[in-house]
Amino acid sequence: MRSAKELQRLMQWHYASIRLPRLGRPLAWVTSGAPVELLRAAGVVAVYPENYGALCGAQHQAVALCQKAESEGYSPDLCSYARTSLGSVIAPESAPLGGLPRPDLLIACNNICSTVVKWYETLSDRFQVPLFVLDLPFIHDRLTPAMTAYAVTQLRDLVTFLERECRRKVSGAKLGEAVRQANETVRLWTEIHELCQAHPSPLNVPDLFVNMAPIVVLRGTASATRFYRHLRDEVAERVREGVGAIAEERYRLLWDNIAIWHHLYRLFNYFAEQGACFVVDTYTTAWSAEIPRGDLLESLAEAYAGVYLNRSLEFRARRMIDMIQAYDVSGFVMHGNRSCKPYSLGQVETRRLVTEMTGAPGLLIEADMCDSRAFAPEPIRTRIQAFIETLESSGREMRGEAQGERR
Amino acid sequence: MTKRAYLGIDIGSLTVKVILIDEQGRVIGRALAVAGYGGQQAAKDLVAAVLSDAGLARSAVAGSVVTGYGRVTFGEADREVSEISCHARGASFLIPATRTVIDVGGQDSKVIRIDQRGRVVDFAMNDKCAAGTGRFLEVMANALGLAVEELGRVALVSAHPLTISNTCTVFAESEAVSHLARGAAREDVASGLIQAVSSRVLGLAARVGLRPQVVFTGGVALNEGMLTELRRQSGLEILVPPDPQMVGALGAALFARQFSAGGS
Repeated sequence: MRSAKELQRLMQWHYASIRLPRLGRPLAWVTSGAPVELLRAAGVVAVYPENYGALCGAQHQAVALCQKAESEGYSPDLCSYARTSLGSVIAPESAPLGGLPRPDLLIACNNICSTVVKWYETLSDRFQVPLFVLDLPFIHDRLTPAMTAYAVTQLRDLVTFLERECRRKVSGAKLGEAVRQANETVRLWTEIHELCQAHPSPLNVPDLFVNMAPIVVLRGTASATRFYRHLRDEVAERVREGVGAIAEERYRLLWDNIAIWHHLYRLFNYFAEQGACFVVDTYTTAWSAEIPRGDLLESLAEAYAGVYLNRSLEFRARRMIDMIQAYDVSGFVMHGNRSCKPYSLGQVETRRLVTEMTGAPGLLIEADMCDSRAFAPEPIRTRIQAFIETLESSGREMRGEAQGERR
Repeated sequence: MTKRAYLGIDIGSLTVKVILIDEQGRVIGRALAVAGYGGQQAAKDLVAAVLSDAGLARSAVAGSVVTGYGRVTFGEADREVSEISCHARGASFLIPATRTVIDVGGQDSKVIRIDQRGRVVDFAMNDKCAAGTGRFLEVMANALGLAVEELGRVALVSAHPLTISNTCTVFAESEAVSHLARGAAREDVASGLIQAVSSRVLGLAARVGLRPQVVFTGGVALNEGMLTELRRQSGLEILVPPDPQMVGALGAALFARQFSAGGS
């Protein structure tokens, strides 16, 4: 894609700029579900260990870092982003980019998982820097006024923490501007997804996985917005010209869970060879929610408590069913991700629910986002082959009946 | 008119199976051998032996399909099809009422749900773990000083089955050994092992749902203890086709016949 170079420059600039002198602006390590708009309004430089973990996974460096963490006693059952991050702190000399620059602050939000709390406590202990844990309530059915009120008090505490650490006020105007900019980025990202409703789809999920880095890391910055405008234009052009992401789109599929970073292209190319394109997924769309209008802290509470992983299995199944209908999907693949318990526990049940409601078959493959030791290529290949054969035999039957009618 | 035949080759982790069928789907040759290193050479030898026993030249083979663990590297068949599709096809050919296939082979156990036309609707396979497979039973039979075919029969006479709590083959072996060291009866340990494997297989089955008619295939279907235990735990009538180890190879041969007739 044309925008690939721009993406590369943008992310290289990000990882270089966080090492530049910051003129008194603190650098914070933050979790992917933290309300970064507050940090931007406070002038904090945000870096994302989870994105760094994905980068290490894609570069096949994560296992060595995980082993460093394991040799210090961290369990191999711990999330591989956490192990990669801790490994890069223990042995920065053997980590890509020499690890992340030392943080001044740590901000963990438990809306994506509980592991981040312990992971960041460990980081706080190692670096001897302050940690703020933002506690957002899990939404079992709906966000109640009491939950919103509680979340707002949490956000107020975060503002107080940031103002103390940054020695500056977080003004409503600055926060409003940060939210406006973030929403602009998010709207473009949503538009890019919706363009994939076209037949053939202009993008396959590995394209989305690769292009999601700025929405996570640079959401609400002018450079991210510019990048997504260019990407949106390029994707729209593909749709106008009928250019598909893969050579021949025979099956439109949905992907559930985080990418398998260490086998990203090998895995999806195997699907693509058989005409299977992933036109939508539950992971990259998790950054598609705009912050609603209204009271700024209440809106942030609503947006950040409402993230996909902080919702019930029923909500997730409903979301998948809606996507299957909107994107004309004929089957789905779930990555049972050993690392990500909140994402993966319950997949057997959501798989059953989604198939019951849509008739679309679902395949569950067991792997790990970063730890390639948990990935067995041959057994996975067998499952994928059988799954495609299942799709094929049901498709053939449809054509067979149509031919029968003609005769 | 020259006779046309179709070859199905199933290269499993422990054994290789070859079946030759004619135009009507009748089995005109079959052979089974230990896979050995990679199974490729064993498969080639078996193909040659089956053809020679049937008195056919290689040119009489109008189509061939390979399946199983070794299918990807085997270069001497027209097509490769996954073992899931092949087991479904073979089982529904032999027992048309089949809706669920439980296949327990050397390294894989799988449960396949099929529709009234023999098409795969859903399936589940064990992942990265040999507990609940034929290999598990082999290791355990060895620990008990029994041949694998005796294990099920010995288990049937147990009055007080022991609980084997470990789901890992390696740890379950040490658990079984420590039971024996404490003086437990061999049949009680054997029965505990069979119960553990059965509940694991049925746990897998719960993912796709067990719908009658249930058919049990693969080498482990020859184990009477397993069959009895699966029937007891599921409360369902479970059928075992004759020659249950050959079902995958039969399915492959049936696919070969279909592809050669112009089906995709």
